Amino acid sequence: MDVGSAVFAVSCNGTAATGTRELQKEQQLNRFLADVERRALRIAEIGVRDRDEALDLVQDAMIKLARHYSARSEEEWTPLFYRILQNGVRDWHRKQVVRNRVMSFFGRRASDDNDYDAVAAAPDLAGRAPDEELQNREAMQVLEIAVHNLPARQREAFMLRTFEGLDVKGTATAMGCSQGSVKTHYSRAVHALREQLEEHRPDDEKH
Amino acid sequence: MKNTNEAFNKRAKASFDETVEKLDAATLSRLNRARHAALAEMQQPSRQWSRWLPATGVAAAALVAVMVMQNPAGFDEPLPAAVADLEILLGEDSLEMLEDLEFYSWLDVVEQENDVG
Repeated sequence: MDVGSAVFAVSCNGTAATGTRELQKEQQLNRFLADVERRALRIAEIGVRDRDEALDLVQDAMIKLARHYSARSEEEWTPLFYRILQNGVRDWHRKQVVRNRVMSFFGRRASDDNDYDAVAAAPDLAGRAPDEELQNREAMQVLEIAVHNLPARQREAFMLRTFEGLDVKGTATAMGCSQGSVKTHYSRAVHALREQLEEHRPDDEKH
Repeated sequence: MKNTNEAFNKRAKASFDETVEKLDAATLSRLNRARHAALAEMQQPSRQWSRWLPATGVAAAALVAVMVMQNPAGFDEPLPAAVADLEILLGEDSLEMLEDLEFYSWLDVVEQENDVG
């Protein structure tokens, strides 16, 4: 083999190795997004009370993660993804405030989001009796409204810790604040929710 | 109290997970499309240059400000060639023009030949 052929072979090997690494990274990211997307959608949906808007926010977060952070290690993706998503939800609320001001200026009433029922249309895959299904649906609806009505930072802390299962450190990264703040927001959220949902609590949890 | 909170969280998580499991096919399909759109983004070439656009704009504005301060009386006159070039370079079509630089230089040569002929 002459020198030219050897250089070409090394170059081809290098390109193939880079291609393999990129493919592996893409597969990793695909698995990560497939695992997180449904919970992320529901978390965004509780935040904005609109499924279409939540889908757009999740898609934006996915694209931003892939564009800017796909080279980071897999362990960093969850807090980074939720940080992007929470920023999107906050921006959405800011725009809503402006939109509502404009609407009220023109004398139109902003839509009442308490009318929203995210799970009403979904069939019961568990095949339970209608009464039981209705009870569970109502309980989740009440919980969703209560979580949605929490102050933004408490809502974020509660959903990331309880629904997504992030630890305090991951939640702090996702929220862009200290671990101490996460503990405070989370504790206040749980306290507020328990108070609000007192009547829906099973007897064995009442003290 | 801690046990009560844990029980509450467990129940909240179970209710949440149930709604996650119950997402309809249309929603899952949209999520699938969103994921593939994101993965396609990984294959796009880097857009690092776009980060510098705002900084370039600020630098251009500063340059114009300095020129105005140095020669305020002459500002009514046509812009100097360098500033006009800068304006063209910062325009939206400038990158396309840079990509076609070879074509423009060829065009220039053809026009010069036509002028001579």
